[in-house]
Amino acid sequence: MSKTALIVDDSRTMRQMVSFTLTNAGFTVIEAEDGRDAVRKVSAGTKLDIVVTDLNMPEMDGITLIKELRRLTAYKFTPILMLTTESALEKKKEGKEAGATGWIVKPFNPEVLLKTIAKVLPA
Amino acid sequence: MKSLRDCDGGKRKAPVVRGAVLQAHQEAWESFGGDAVQLIPILKAHMAAVTQETERAAMELMGHLQILASSSETITARDRAASLSKVVMAMQFQDITRQKLEHVSLALDQLQKHVQALLKGPHNQEAQQEIAALQRVERSYTMEAERRLHDAAVTSDYLEPVPSDMETTDGEEDPVILF
Repeated sequence: MSKTALIVDDSRTMRQMVSFTLTNAGFTVIEAEDGRDAVRKVSAGTKLDIVVTDLNMPEMDGITLIKELRRLTAYKFTPILMLTTESALEKKKEGKEAGATGWIVKPFNPEVLLKTIAKVLPA
Repeated sequence: MKSLRDCDGGKRKAPVVRGAVLQAHQEAWESFGGDAVQLIPILKAHMAAVTQETERAAMELMGHLQILASSSETITARDRAASLSKVVMAMQFQDITRQKLEHVSLALDQLQKHVQALLKGPHNQEAQQEIAALQRVERSYTMEAERRLHDAAVTSDYLEPVPSDMETTDGEEDPVILF
C-alpha cells in the first residue's frame, strides 16, 4: 500500500515539483495551498505518513500548521519536514519547538528530499 | 500691571511652535531622503539578482533538457536521473524569484506610504510614525542570500559586484537538518 504525503505550499510550481518527486517515488499526494487549506483537508482524520510544508504562506504559516497538527492525536508523531527558503537559525529553532521533524532549505534536490523522507519515515 | 511682553505672549508663541513643527518636518523629509537613497540601490541589486537567477535557471534547464532528449547511448540512466533532478532544482527558481520580487514590492509599498505620510504636512502625526520604517525592510527577508545582498549593497564600497543569490559560500550550512 502506498504511503500518503501532504504537501503544503502557496506556490503552485513548488507543489508540482514536490508532488512530481514524491509521486514518482510511489507516494499518494495530497496538496494544500496554505496551512488553513491543509487543516481543512486533513480534518477528517486522513491517514498521513509524511507532511512537507513551506514556512511563509498566507492565511496560516507552516509553524502554526505544525502546532495545529501536533494537537491532533492522529498526527502527534507524523514526520513533518519544513521545506522553505528561510534559513535563519531562530526560525529553525521555532520550527523545532513547534514540533517539526526536520528542515530543508530550498531549492531542494529531489534525491536529497527522498533520502531525508526515508530517514524520518517509521520503519 | 501687565508688561507689554505678557500682553503679546500668545501671539509670539505661535511662530515659535510653527517653526519647530516645520523643522521637525524638514528633518523627517531628510531622514526619508537618506533612507530612500540607501534603499534604491538595494532594490536594484535584488532585481538584478532575480534576472541573473532566471538566466542561470534557463541555461541550466536547456542543458539538462538536451541530455534528457538525447538518444545517445553514451548517456546512462544515471545521467538521465541526475539531469531530471537538476531540472527539478532549476524549475524552483520561479518560487525563489517570486519571493524576492515580493520583498522588493513590499519595500516600494513602504516608500509610497512614507511619502504619502510626509505629504500630509508637518502637523500630521503619521509622518513621524513612518520615520525609520524603511530601515525595517531587512526584516522582511527570508533568504540568507537576500541578507548577504542587502549587506553588500549598504556597504560603502558598493560599486563592487553584488554576490549572486545562487552562489554558495564556503561556510554555507547543510540544506537539510533533522531535529
